[in-house]
Amino acid sequence: MFCFMVEMERIVKANDREYNEKFQYADNRIHTSKYNILTFLPINLFEQFQRVANAYFLCLLILQLIPEISSLTWFTTIVPLVLVITMTAVKDATDDYFRHKSDNQVNNRQSEVLIDSKLQNEKWMNVKVGDIIKLENNQFVAADLLLLSSSEPHGLCYVETAELDGETNLKVRHALSVTSELGADTNRLARFDGIVVCEVPNNKLDKFMGILSWKDSKHSLNNEKIILRGCILRNTSWCFGMVIFAGPDTKLMQNSGKTKFKRTSIDRLMNTLVLWIFGFLICLGIILAIGNSIWESQIGDQFRTFLFWNEGEKSSVFSGFLTFWSYIIILNTVVPISLYVSVEVIRLGHSYFINWDRKMYYSRKATPAEARTTTLNEELGQIEYIFSDKTGTLTQNIMTFKRCSINGRIYGEVPDDLDQKTEITQKKEPVDFSVKSQVDREFQFFDHNLMESIKMGDPKVHEFLRVLALCHTVMSEENSAGELIYQVQSPDEGALVTAARNFGFIFKSRTPETITIEELGTLVTYQLLAFLDFNNTRKRMSVIVRNPEGQIKLYSKGADTILFEKLHPSNEVLLSLTSDHLSEFAGEGLRTLAIAYRDLDDKYFKEWHKMLEDANAATEERDERIAGLYEEIERDLMLLGATAVEDKLQEGVIETVASLSLANIKIWVLTGDKQETAINIGYACNMLTDDMNDVFVIAGNNAVEVREELRKAKENLSGQNRNVSNGHVVCEKKQQLELDSIVEETVTGDYALIINGHSLAHALESDVKNDLLELACMCKTVVCCRVTPLQKAQVVELVKKYRNAVTLAIGDGANDVSMIKSAHIGVGISGQEGLQAVLASDYSFAQFRYLQRLLLVHGRWSYFRMCKFLCYFFYKNFAFTLVHFWFGFFCGFSAQIALDTSYWTFINHVFIWGSIAIYFSILFTMHSNGIFGIFPNQFPFVGNARHSLTQKCIWLVILLTTVASVLPVVVFRFLKVNLYPTLSDQIRRWQKAQKKARPPSSRRPQTRRSSSRRSGYAFAHQEGYGELITSGKNMRTKNPPPTSGLEKTHYNSTSWIENLCKKTTETVSSFSQDKTVKL
Amino acid sequence: MEERPQHRLSRLPDNSALKQQELPAHRLYFTARRVLFVFFTTGIFCLCMGIILILSARSTQEIEINYTRICANCAKLRENASNFDKECTCSIPFYLSGKMMVGYVYMYYKLYGFYQNLYRYVRSRSNRQQLVGKDTKAVEDCAPFKTSDNKTPIVPCGAIANSMFNDTIILLHNINSSVQIKVPMLKSGLMWWTDKYVRFQNPSSKNLADEFRGTTKPPNWPKPVYDLDKKDPRNNGFLNDDFIVWMRAAAFPTFKTQYGRLNRTHRFIEGLPAGNYSFNITYNFPVTRFHGEKSVVLSTLTWYGGNSLFLGLAYTVTGAITWLASFAMMAIHIMLKNKKMSFFHQ
Repeated sequence: MFCFMVEMERIVKANDREYNEKFQYADNRIHTSKYNILTFLPINLFEQFQRVANAYFLCLLILQLIPEISSLTWFTTIVPLVLVITMTAVKDATDDYFRHKSDNQVNNRQSEVLIDSKLQNEKWMNVKVGDIIKLENNQFVAADLLLLSSSEPHGLCYVETAELDGETNLKVRHALSVTSELGADTNRLARFDGIVVCEVPNNKLDKFMGILSWKDSKHSLNNEKIILRGCILRNTSWCFGMVIFAGPDTKLMQNSGKTKFKRTSIDRLMNTLVLWIFGFLICLGIILAIGNSIWESQIGDQFRTFLFWNEGEKSSVFSGFLTFWSYIIILNTVVPISLYVSVEVIRLGHSYFINWDRKMYYSRKATPAEARTTTLNEELGQIEYIFSDKTGTLTQNIMTFKRCSINGRIYGEVPDDLDQKTEITQKKEPVDFSVKSQVDREFQFFDHNLMESIKMGDPKVHEFLRVLALCHTVMSEENSAGELIYQVQSPDEGALVTAARNFGFIFKSRTPETITIEELGTLVTYQLLAFLDFNNTRKRMSVIVRNPEGQIKLYSKGADTILFEKLHPSNEVLLSLTSDHLSEFAGEGLRTLAIAYRDLDDKYFKEWHKMLEDANAATEERDERIAGLYEEIERDLMLLGATAVEDKLQEGVIETVASLSLANIKIWVLTGDKQETAINIGYACNMLTDDMNDVFVIAGNNAVEVREELRKAKENLSGQNRNVSNGHVVCEKKQQLELDSIVEETVTGDYALIINGHSLAHALESDVKNDLLELACMCKTVVCCRVTPLQKAQVVELVKKYRNAVTLAIGDGANDVSMIKSAHIGVGISGQEGLQAVLASDYSFAQFRYLQRLLLVHGRWSYFRMCKFLCYFFYKNFAFTLVHFWFGFFCGFSAQIALDTSYWTFINHVFIWGSIAIYFSILFTMHSNGIFGIFPNQFPFVGNARHSLTQKCIWLVILLTTVASVLPVVVFRFLKVNLYPTLSDQIRRWQKAQKKARPPSSRRPQTRRSSSRRSGYAFAHQEGYGELITSGKNMRTKNPPPTSGLEKTHYNSTSWIENLCKKTTETVSSFSQDKTVKL
Repeated sequence: MEERPQHRLSRLPDNSALKQQELPAHRLYFTARRVLFVFFTTGIFCLCMGIILILSARSTQEIEINYTRICANCAKLRENASNFDKECTCSIPFYLSGKMMVGYVYMYYKLYGFYQNLYRYVRSRSNRQQLVGKDTKAVEDCAPFKTSDNKTPIVPCGAIANSMFNDTIILLHNINSSVQIKVPMLKSGLMWWTDKYVRFQNPSSKNLADEFRGTTKPPNWPKPVYDLDKKDPRNNGFLNDDFIVWMRAAAFPTFKTQYGRLNRTHRFIEGLPAGNYSFNITYNFPVTRFHGEKSVVLSTLTWYGGNSLFLGLAYTVTGAITWLASFAMMAIHIMLKNKKMSFFHQ
């Protein structure tokens, strides 16, 4: 906005507005609106006359104002033109009004700013760079802030970044220790005069580089210390931050793609057609002009007695020149302005049909579907690619504990055939947990057997639930009503802990050394001896606790593939049984997790713990040594069972995905979530299946690796192709390919591509882009995980640009906005908290499944109707206009009209939109005596209708014309249906035959899928939380309890956080796929 | 979650057939039986219609006499515009052979190569001038015939009025070599009702000459507009029959315009009997100047109006093609039927 100077780096001084004003940084006001009252008219008119048609009609209007060549009165053009322009202008104005409104609402939000050592309420728009502002719990962050201090110990604070990347789990931020000491002391904060030198505004959500200079020392700043606009502060009662980027410079705003004027392919087709027709019109004009010149010199000059020429009209060439322009005006109806008006009206009608559709009304949230853009309806029928967000769109973002297998026995509802299942749910009451005091009321479980087993006191079941209650990173908190609230870093864990809680194993509280749970009514405190944290290679997590009886136990949960290798040989029978169960769970698309324990010998543990302490103290190869020790102790495990958590899909997602892919629409999932989660959802909604020939995972860390992986995948694909191309697979696929008009390469078999954001960033570079696109388009399913909002938009742009395909993006959150904006059609999921996606979208509805109806019903119908309308419209205009061309040969090419265009067009444009009644009433009015009496020169048609309609001859001609026009069409259609039936004809015929044969029987859907897919357990939280817990840094206890002899804190007060950072950076290098967006 | 507050229900769209796009729709299914039935009946209808129309067109009679060359001397005289006040008549005898012209007989004049449809020509008229209460001097649209050289407005103004066909044609029946009877002709019923009673109105005053004071006649006219018919004072001014008929400009450069119709009285009650006739023509209208031609036409009409064979032929041809098409379709259908049966049995 203020780009008079290229900013190389940003220098911000805290609490010094004067100093910062020198740099003219953007303030915190945002405006997404396009016009204001003064600029509206000129800008809007300028925009509108950039449209070919409007400009053309403006030229025509000017031509018509020249009396020498004006063969039609000027108002035949100006009325429709003004109408079109006003309609569009009104629409633009209302759109912009709403943008103004939402801008105002955001700009006027209040925030507390530290001014003159006092906290003052200030509107968001008045917040300046360098200001220190105070945030409270559950508040939106007003600008990109450098975190200075917070209510939590060590300057920690938690933020939810759903608006930015769609992830709902909490992220931790921590202030520099020097600044966190400032606390909530406003005087000290007001004296804070640090200078931040940092990067210029950019759109990278996961990177920040800067240096804080304060009190003669320099501190480096990274992304961990920055809170971005759009985040929400959680679980932190207050925090202070210094504004670094404000308003349009914030990363959120930098990530919001530009609003583009969206047009449909029909629009583009119409523009080309109009250009061609215009050329055609010029040709006609030239032919007629030449004709006129010849006629005037050959015949015309003999006719001068009756019609002499005025002065200055002496040459036949000049007459021809004038005739050219006259004919351009007369024949202008081949390029009809009413086309645009009518098209807009039809689209408006279709939008209303969408708004009115009861089948797209979500009663639970009382949200009807809404067509927010009225101009894109027919494009809905042309979609080839759908880009979908995951969280909130495909899934409900609710994790539920569905089933479990304990000691070889399955608990939880038994999904049989669909009908039976509903029966069960109707008959069977959910398990009643109301006896327990601490239950989560939303939790439902339909199997009473588990409850009975607990009551019977089955030790394995108890142990199983104990693991769930002990082995996790959940923090507990009591709210004002005394209810337990769990703060979870990943929703999976939340589901498991909540399940244990409902079955009577209630996780109450934890300290760095103890975990207190309530076991069936009795409080039990376990000593936490060690916490073997999760990471991506281990894919498991363990705790070592000492129970009140003094036994030391290792409880472990993790991916079954990993855990099964660590089992004691005696588990063989149970293992195979559990393994079967796991397959079953995975087949239903549940996320599975194996649970195991190990009894530890006191002496053995002490030895091990000693080694661990040594390893921790070591400077060299510390991590390797620790990992080795973890491996060492996590063996000879005893299997308890497995859990199955459902990442609940939205209703009807599977069916919708299936029917959309039947319609040859490709669905790409673009998510900010982790790879495992994304893949799991891919399996859950049948986008990925075990029948797939291959699933390529691109997780390269740099450009070279990515290119190599892409190349390999491509080779692999074409190699496999060659292998199967001789087989009978070809025959199966053949029909499908025939339907697909644009098949670049014949790919047999189903493939899937999974690529993560980090690799995507490299893959989107210019030279690899094509490889990526080719590969992706050959795959049936594409899943991109860990992508930033802007990358989502880039992927959409890529497909749009190089595939020339019509794209649709669907999402629910602010992180989908840029994707929604850049796709041909953006769909927002409405009825949820955030409105950004809906506001940016073209269509909005409450459920993903309505996409099916929107595309396959509304889109198809709109497209059909629009095509029919256009065909008819062009036909009508040509038929009408070419009469004048033909008549030119009889009237000396003098631009006399054969039919009364003036009233014809007038009626056509303004009144008759299909209404013959109106047409005739106006026709007769215009032909009436009265109107002739008033305007004898403008309406000289008196008696035409009466005279012609009383002649028998006319009626006979009308009859004959009707017969002669209708019959060829009937012949054509009859023969077409018989000789070259289309697919729908065949289906219709087939349906007819079916109806005759027998009443239709409902097909039984197959719910069971055999699947080998397992262990989709995705710890959606970061590594390092274990350390956070054992170090006790995130506990709010003022006086940490005395450390036991076993549990000695080896890390000094800040080392754990350095460890955390180090770990995460290491993970970036080794498992980069999961860390691209790490806030 | 499950409970739905009442006020929220208002957002539920109406369940009307229109809004849910469930209006009854019928899609024509072109079964062979239906299509062939329609085609056969249409074919029969068109054929019958065509035959009837052809027969009735054939029963009409038409005589056309081109008198451009026959009245060569008059034509020559009119070549020079300065001779406009010299009268020139010519008589064209002809024999109506065979049977008489039965029924209503119409007389037309027909012009060849007269471009009544030129853009500037068609526009060059003033409808306002010819209405009651409107200004008789309203000549603004009449270029290039708005005013005379001394700026007096022309009434009626404009190129159309100025070029009015002003030959007088009288049909005489020669009963024998000495006795000639003028065949009675009517001017009524030739023009449109609306033209006569709505479009063209004379100024209200009895004395037309007074009303048209301060105006001048069109340059090509021998007489002013209020003096067109000396015999019938009501046939003067804008209400002159010939004038009204002429003011409906023809769409094509060759056209025939009604001039009169037989008054079926006395000997002519059945029509025009066979015998010797002659046209007595006062030759005023110059056509040779623009290489045009003119002729006089006597014709009877069919019941449906007009006397051309075209409509009948068109019906016949359409009927025939429809029948051919239906036979072709039947053949294709039968050929495909076996194939289809095997398709279904698969």
